[in-house]
Amino acid sequence: MMSSISMDNSRLMPRAKLYKYIAWLLMFLVLILLPYFITNPFYQRLVTEILIYGLLAMSLDVILGYTGLLSFMHAAYMGIAAYTVGIFVVYVDAQASLWFTFLLGVTVVILIAWPVGWLQVRTGGFAFALLTIAFGMMYYTLVWKSRDITGGDDGLFGITRPTIAIGDWVLGSTSNPVDVYYFTLCVVAICFFLTKRIMQSPFGAVLESIRENEKRAAFIGVNVRRYKLQAWILACALAGVCGVLFTYLKGSVSPTMMDASAGGSVLMMTLLGGLGTLWGSFVGAGLFIFGQDYISTMTEHWMIFMGLAVMLLVIFMPAGAAGLVNRFITKSKD
Amino acid sequence: MSIVLKTDNLSKSFGGVKAVHNANINVEERKLKAVIGPNGAGKTTFYNVLTGYFSATSGEVYFMDRNITKMPIHEIVKLGICRTFQINTLFIGATVFENVRIASQIKNGGSYKILSSRRSLKNVNDKTWATLDKVGLKDKAKSFANELSYGDQRSLEVGIALAGEPKILLLDEPTAGMSDGETKRIASLIRELTNDITVVLVEHDVELVMSISDSISVMNQGEIIAEGTPEEIRKNELVKKAYLGERKN
Repeated sequence: MMSSISMDNSRLMPRAKLYKYIAWLLMFLVLILLPYFITNPFYQRLVTEILIYGLLAMSLDVILGYTGLLSFMHAAYMGIAAYTVGIFVVYVDAQASLWFTFLLGVTVVILIAWPVGWLQVRTGGFAFALLTIAFGMMYYTLVWKSRDITGGDDGLFGITRPTIAIGDWVLGSTSNPVDVYYFTLCVVAICFFLTKRIMQSPFGAVLESIRENEKRAAFIGVNVRRYKLQAWILACALAGVCGVLFTYLKGSVSPTMMDASAGGSVLMMTLLGGLGTLWGSFVGAGLFIFGQDYISTMTEHWMIFMGLAVMLLVIFMPAGAAGLVNRFITKSKD
Repeated sequence: MSIVLKTDNLSKSFGGVKAVHNANINVEERKLKAVIGPNGAGKTTFYNVLTGYFSATSGEVYFMDRNITKMPIHEIVKLGICRTFQINTLFIGATVFENVRIASQIKNGGSYKILSSRRSLKNVNDKTWATLDKVGLKDKAKSFANELSYGDQRSLEVGIALAGEPKILLLDEPTAGMSDGETKRIASLIRELTNDITVVLVEHDVELVMSISDSISVMNQGEIIAEGTPEEIRKNELVKKAYLGERKN
C-alpha cells in the first residue's frame, strides 16, 4: 500500500510543482507591473503598506507558526525601529543614508529584543505571551510620554526622506510612491526568500521540533531556550526592517503603529493568512488592509467586522488562506 | 565491570509526598537493567529526576563519574543519555522520517547551516534510514506520526531515542499496549542493543523483564527495596511480599 502512495506522489508531484512555479511567476509579473495598473498614489502607498505589513506578519509567523511562541505586540518592534530612525534623522543627521538608517534601526531593535527575549524564553507559553504584552505596553508608554523627543501622541514629523542609492548610483527617491514601492518590494522579497530558506534549513527543522513538542525537543538534546531566543531575535530584526521601510513610506512616525491594537492587527493578519507558510502572511496582510480600507468607507466600526471575520476564519478555516490554497493543491494531486 | 550510571540517595518530594526516597541504583556498562515495581511506585518520577526533567529534592546522579544532578536536560542528552516516555511524546505533526531525522541532526550537528536544505545533511539522512530499519518503520517513513497505529508510535518513540546515538538508553514501558508480536520484536531489539550500549528498562511486564534483564531493581513506594539478578529478585522475600506476592493473590 505504501509503495502505491509513494508512486502516486512521484507521478503527480511535477504537476503540483508546475502549478507552483506558474503561480510564483504570475505573482512576480503582477507585483512588478503593479504601478502601471494602479496609478493612484494613494493605492500605490496602500499596496506598499501591505508589503510592509505582510513582512511584519511573516516575521510573526517565524515565532508563532514555526516555533510556537505567541507575541501579542509584535508591531512594537517595528515601532522601535521606526522611532529610532525617525529620531536619528530629525535630531542627529537629516542627511543620513538609507542604508545606515537600516543598520541603525535593526541594530537597536536587536539590542532591545535580545535581553527581553532572554527573559521571555525563561517562562512557559502563556507567561511568554503575557510578557510580550507587558513589554509592548512599556515601549508604547515610553514613546507616548517622551513628548519632547517623540512628539507624543502627535507623532514625529519632518523626517527627511533619503534617496535610494547604491554608492553614487541613484535609483530613486523615497518620497516618490513608485520608487518607494519598488524599493520596498526588493527589500521584502530579499527578506522573504532569506527567511524561507532559513525555515527550510536544519535550523528551521529545530524550530519546528520545538513547536511540535517542546518536551521531546529538549530530550533529543535541543537547547530549547537558545533556539527560541534566536527565533525571537530573527523575528524582531525583521520587524525592525519593516519599521524602517514604514518610516520612509509615511515620512512620519505615530505611536498608534505600536499600540495594542496594532499588535492585535498583525496577529490577525498572520492568522488570516495561515500559520507556518510565510507567504500566507502577505495574503493575510492584503485581506486585512484592503478589508479595513473597504469596510471603513461604510462604517467607522470596521474593527467589529474584521474581528468577526477573524473569528469565523479561526473556527472554520484554522489553516487560514494558505490552508485553502494547500487544500486546493492537494485536491489537484488526487 | 564499570558502573555508567548511579544514584546516591536520590529523592524527590512533591509537597509532603515522597515520590522517590533515597533511591540507589547502579547500572553496569552494556548491561540491561530493569526497574520494576507496582503502579505508583515512583518509577517514572525516578526517570524524570535521572534525566533532568524534575530537579532532585536531595541526592545525586552520576553518569560515568560525572555529577549530572543539576544539569539541564539538553546537556544530559549530549552526554549520551536518551530516554523514551511512557506516554508517547512525539513530533506528532511531522513525518516518521522527520521525527527520527531531527533527533539525528541534533546529535550529528548541522543545525546552523541556515542556508542549506534540511534534506541536504547526507550523513544524518543515512543514519535516519538505518534507525528506521532497526525499529521496523522504514516502510512508514512518509507517514505522519499521528497516522501511525499505537504500536508503531511506541516503536517510533524508541527510534527517536536511538537516533540520539545514546551511550545509555532509558526506556519507560516501551511495550505498553503493544501486541504480542510487536512486544517480541522490541524485546529482541532491546536485548540486541546491549551489545553496544547500556539499557535501563522500566517495565510492567514482569515475565518479559525476568527473561531479558541482567539486573533488576525493585521499587516500592518510592524506595528501591532490592537490587540483584533476576534469580536473586525471584527469591527475595521483600520483593515477594511487596510486588510479586501481590500478583499471585
